[in-house]
Amino acid sequence: MSTATARVAGGRPARVRRPASRHSLTKGSALGLGVGMIWFSLLVLIPLTAVVWTAGEGGLGTFKDALTNKQTFNALKLTVLSSLAVTGVNIVMGTVIAWVLVRDRFPGKKLLDLVIDIPFAMPTIVAGLVLLSLYGAESPLGLEWNNTRKAVLLALAFVTVPFVVRTVQPVLEEMDTDVEDAAASLGASRATTFRRVILPTLAPAIFAGATLSFARAISEYGSLVLLSGNLPNRTEVASVRVYSAIEGGNQQSAAAVATILLLVALVAIVVFDLIQRRLARRG
Amino acid sequence: MSIDVSGLTKTFGDFVALDDVTVSLPTGQLTALLGPSGGGKSTLLRIIAGLDTADAGTVTIEGREATNLPARKRNVGFVFQHYAVFKHMSVAKNVAFGLEIRKRPRAEIDKRVAELLELVHLSQFRDRMPSQLSGGQRQRMALARALAVEPTVLLLDEPFGALDAKVRKELRDWLRRLHDEVHTTTIFVTHDQEEALEVADEIVVINDGRVEQVGSPDTLYDKPANDFVMRFLGETTDLAGQTVRPHDIDVSMSPGVAGSTPGTVTRILRVGFEVRVTVTTDDGAEALVTMTRTLARSTGVEEGAKVWLTAAKGATAVPVMRAV
Repeated sequence: MSTATARVAGGRPARVRRPASRHSLTKGSALGLGVGMIWFSLLVLIPLTAVVWTAGEGGLGTFKDALTNKQTFNALKLTVLSSLAVTGVNIVMGTVIAWVLVRDRFPGKKLLDLVIDIPFAMPTIVAGLVLLSLYGAESPLGLEWNNTRKAVLLALAFVTVPFVVRTVQPVLEEMDTDVEDAAASLGASRATTFRRVILPTLAPAIFAGATLSFARAISEYGSLVLLSGNLPNRTEVASVRVYSAIEGGNQQSAAAVATILLLVALVAIVVFDLIQRRLARRG
Repeated sequence: MSIDVSGLTKTFGDFVALDDVTVSLPTGQLTALLGPSGGGKSTLLRIIAGLDTADAGTVTIEGREATNLPARKRNVGFVFQHYAVFKHMSVAKNVAFGLEIRKRPRAEIDKRVAELLELVHLSQFRDRMPSQLSGGQRQRMALARALAVEPTVLLLDEPFGALDAKVRKELRDWLRRLHDEVHTTTIFVTHDQEEALEVADEIVVINDGRVEQVGSPDTLYDKPANDFVMRFLGETTDLAGQTVRPHDIDVSMSPGVAGSTPGTVTRILRVGFEVRVTVTTDDGAEALVTMTRTLARSTGVEEGAKVWLTAAKGATAVPVMRAV
């Protein structure tokens, strides 16, 4: 009500409204907001700005150089495409695993529930070692995938398994099976119920997990350096490229690649959110 | 034509939910499945709907064998205690769901949805999301959604159980009126005897997985088949080896009538127009008598008074069967 009145009387709504809303914060929440903002700025905003700043110092030319450098471009391409592929796999497999963990009963269910988190908890370099001993040269499985692009996909898939599972699981647990029964009694087949009732409910969780999984994948370093071999133009990923740029003393180029990765992540978050909203609304 | 259930048995592990239940539910009527929680009435309803499968027995809906038919092919409307709304769809979308699945033309769907929303008084809420509705409104929406597909039978599982007392009473009256308008065969599950007595044409009393009695509300109240039905359908008290209603006991201040039970008034509680008198009989048992304020005053009942109790003429009474 007060908003409406302010708009009519003030003519310039936003300006009139602002001070009132600031006063509506209690002391406690004002303090909380302040501390939260400072913490977030120190940890996230300021360092990020510094990276973008460093990259921007050289002007647009730095970005152009970075992107026209064949090796850098290939590294970025491999990173983004692999991450997208792995995220796609996670959307399907993560949802399936979450479904099995919530809806089915089988021996060893508790154990599986526990094991899912191991890729989270494990130091990434240890993950790399595990993968190397299984899929590297002299692999006991006969799959010598080291120094191939398969290795990149494998490492990314390994470290991102838990994301979609862990975001979908609580939503599935909360979900009432009555809703599925209602759809069935209204004449819906299992497939229709899944598409029109279950999926729209899970979509926000699935895409939250997908976003996390994608972000983790484009930034992954530790788990894949050992197995992928970092072959230029073949298996070298963007984060390795950033690292070698810094090693070579080229701060600006490193910052440029980093900024591009940042942009990709940002675009991904927005796109995933849009898809999610569409799915959730479709019903 | 009706819904015929024959020899239905259902167990969950060691628990017997339904034990060889055979019952016929008449077409076009409003039938209540009444019984205590865990007595098997919801299970029976879910089996009729095809949402659960029986271990043994058959279900026939309007002459059509339905025992092995999946829920989606039974053409049964189901209303759940906790509404089971599709949270991500608007009110109109929820109601349209069944029709959209049947691929009816858009214009027909819109027309039908508008009619139904009118019927359940939710027309002005058609574009709201379910989260913006009250419990009673959500349940009315769920009812419209179930009615949209023109079900052969409408099943309601404790439909008013999650609502507060006032709304529950309103919706109960409204359901009765709606049924008089729509005439869809309706079966609803309740553990509230007042709800069943007030709304239903016919009541099936279910306890421990068995049907105790089937009949009209009056039959059940006046001629209960056993003391379980009698106890479940209203207040009772024991007097001289019989179960009777507390308002069916005559109180006398002198031992005039032969066979009357002597006792002493130990407690008097006044609730509005009603007076509830607790009498400890001479053999040590307690009996409850209710009477109007006026009658209590004219009789002269007071705490510590010596009284003689008799079951009133024409009172419903069944022998006490303890340790059932």
